[in-house]
Amino acid sequence: MDAGKIIQGHYQGQKGPLFNLAFTTALLTAVTLGIYRFWAKTRIRNYIWSSTVGEGDTFEYTGTGLEKFLGFLFAIVVLAIYLGIIQMILFYFGLTLLREPTTEAEFLAQAGAFYITVLAVVPLIFFAQYRARRYKLARTRWRGLRFGADKGAWGYVWRAMGHWALTIVTLGLLLPRQTFWLEKYVTDRSWFGDARFEQTGSWTKLYPAMKHLIIGLVVLLGGVAAGAAMGSPAIAGLMGLVGYVWLMIGMVSYRVQSFIYLTGNKLLDGKITFQANTETGVIVSTVLVGGLVVGLLTGLVFAVVGVVASMVLGPLLVGSAGAGLGVGAVLGGVLLAGIYIAALAVAGALALVWITQPIIAHVVQTVTVRNADALDEIHQRAADTGADAEGFADALDVGGAI
Amino acid sequence: MAQAAGRYFDGRTAARHRVDVTLDRAAGVLVFSGESVTEQRWPLARLRALTDHARDYGLTVTLHGESGDESPRDAARLSFSEPGLIAELRALCPDLTRRDVHRGSWGRIGRRAALAVAAIVLMLFVILPRMADTLAGIIPVEREIAFGRSVTAQMERALGGAILGDLRCDATGGRAALDTMLTRLTDGRDLQYEIDVLVFDHPMLNAFAAPGGQVVLMRGLLENASGPDAVAAVLAHEIGHVERRDATRHALRAAGSAGLLSMILGDFTGGTLAVILGERMLQASYTREAEREADLFALDMLGAAGVDSSGMATFFDDLTELENARPSLPVYLNTHPASADRAARARAHAEAQQETIPVLTDAEWQALLTICD
Repeated sequence: MDAGKIIQGHYQGQKGPLFNLAFTTALLTAVTLGIYRFWAKTRIRNYIWSSTVGEGDTFEYTGTGLEKFLGFLFAIVVLAIYLGIIQMILFYFGLTLLREPTTEAEFLAQAGAFYITVLAVVPLIFFAQYRARRYKLARTRWRGLRFGADKGAWGYVWRAMGHWALTIVTLGLLLPRQTFWLEKYVTDRSWFGDARFEQTGSWTKLYPAMKHLIIGLVVLLGGVAAGAAMGSPAIAGLMGLVGYVWLMIGMVSYRVQSFIYLTGNKLLDGKITFQANTETGVIVSTVLVGGLVVGLLTGLVFAVVGVVASMVLGPLLVGSAGAGLGVGAVLGGVLLAGIYIAALAVAGALALVWITQPIIAHVVQTVTVRNADALDEIHQRAADTGADAEGFADALDVGGAI
Repeated sequence: MAQAAGRYFDGRTAARHRVDVTLDRAAGVLVFSGESVTEQRWPLARLRALTDHARDYGLTVTLHGESGDESPRDAARLSFSEPGLIAELRALCPDLTRRDVHRGSWGRIGRRAALAVAAIVLMLFVILPRMADTLAGIIPVEREIAFGRSVTAQMERALGGAILGDLRCDATGGRAALDTMLTRLTDGRDLQYEIDVLVFDHPMLNAFAAPGGQVVLMRGLLENASGPDAVAAVLAHEIGHVERRDATRHALRAAGSAGLLSMILGDFTGGTLAVILGERMLQASYTREAEREADLFALDMLGAAGVDSSGMATFFDDLTELENARPSLPVYLNTHPASADRAARARAHAEAQQETIPVLTDAEWQALLTICD
């Protein structure tokens, strides 16, 4: 079959500019007691979106810090009222279930009962996830055309809760079903201009993606059981470690393999297709190497800061101890807090530059669009107000790195 | 006249148009046209560039104008990478990197911010406290007792008790002294709860009242107290908390306001610090009144029982001293701010007292001190 014109993804972002951007905006955020975070997020997305290129045309992020701030203010009004009341009522009913613990199991169950209030947040998290994704799409443009998503956050909430419940009850056996149907729900509601995305394929085809997840689990459980049966803690420990590492890599592998399958079975406007050649190995090594670099550099920064602080601030703090309300002590404290926050900002910016960006770059560069001639016929779609502009996601801390 | 090849997207379809771009300085417009595009003239004053762009060798521009979009911008985009033209535009267009906002945005921010602050203040200081008071009032006493026992068990585990009951001190002589003290304080009073006093084998200088009548004293408090009258004062104070259902009320409030502050402040660099400080302040504002009430209850109880309330004053004095000596002492002070006021109030009460009788004999006091042995 003729694949028509093929567009290969390209990523042109670099470490230096992104680091400067992330570091500066993190400092501004700290200075403004967190308010600048909406603008910080916007500027970093501007950079990453504009680094993503298809056929020489860059993506564009059009979201604004202002609308995020407004959305956040709206979200906290709703959340303060909802969560305050629901959490207290749930806690009250949790209380009426308590008895004096007499056995270890009862003790643990009751320790758990204190966390019953978490239940109030679960549906909101899924709600916020869908809304945040819709907002991100609505603020993404390529070749001047808007992406977008239909409304449907509540439909996502009850589906997500149902699928999660099924996955947990079946001890993960129905994970592919969850992955596929939730992806299908959001994909089928996504648009580029007036062209709709569609998720084809079947959930059972995702089982091969679970291969390393299952091997890791078998090694972990089997190894520990075998070690215990032989009465050898050494074998149990070793197999446990091997199984654990395998399981961790298996999780990454599952995400990558299911991403490849789901991308390969996506359809835009009924005729444009996609392909992903993302590699688990590259992702894992990026995380390992990046993690090492970030860890070392952060350690170095904190060490230097520590030495400087003790040399410069030490005398300042000690010298003022006798003088009652020393200006030096206050100044020293403020400086110390400033240095600490600056070091944290360095660590955050390093993680973005050495881990997050390389992973995005790898994914973008391994995706191809086929039959791309059909893209020219796609028309613009109407603007989406974006509702809360991620306000719920921000307040509830969902949404990940970018 | 600067000239460049450019890519133009009209904002209506995804088709890419190749255009030739020229700068007409005299007219103050950017002019471009191509095979598939009729001549377009963009005034330089309305020209805006996309910012924080990764491609530093190129420029993408659009037009400023009221629209239904998130920013007051036209949907069309024009990109070019001719350095000469870019340099000229940067020099000629003062507003090239301006961030325009929709008309009325600042008013909306003001209104939304006021609404958000009002909603949060209303929740934290009016609605949640009222709800907690109501719920604490309607919870059946036996449920509250069960809850209290659970709290004590969690507390014991948190303080390092390997198995339940591990930390509880029960030497016979000490137990008897404690019962004497309790009877002396509560005799003839009509209490809602049956008070159950426990001593935990822990060096912390602290005491707490669990919901439903359990009062826990730490060994550290007994050892640091100036005498039995001081311990009786603490015990009376904790009984005050029990009678007023303070622990239940506070647990309900805490459950209601859990996470509200971290939600508002968000997960930014240094934010955790701000959340901890904020929660401390919130907690302090909740407890200040409760502490005052419990003090008054205790003074009343000591007065009725004929126990010298200067023990209470001494106790607060000792705490203040400890606080001054070791500024970061994580003790009683954190939840029960010791202040000169509280000591002074106790002292004034003591001066007005008639004849008092020590709450324990010396022998009983020695027995209480060794309750954990």
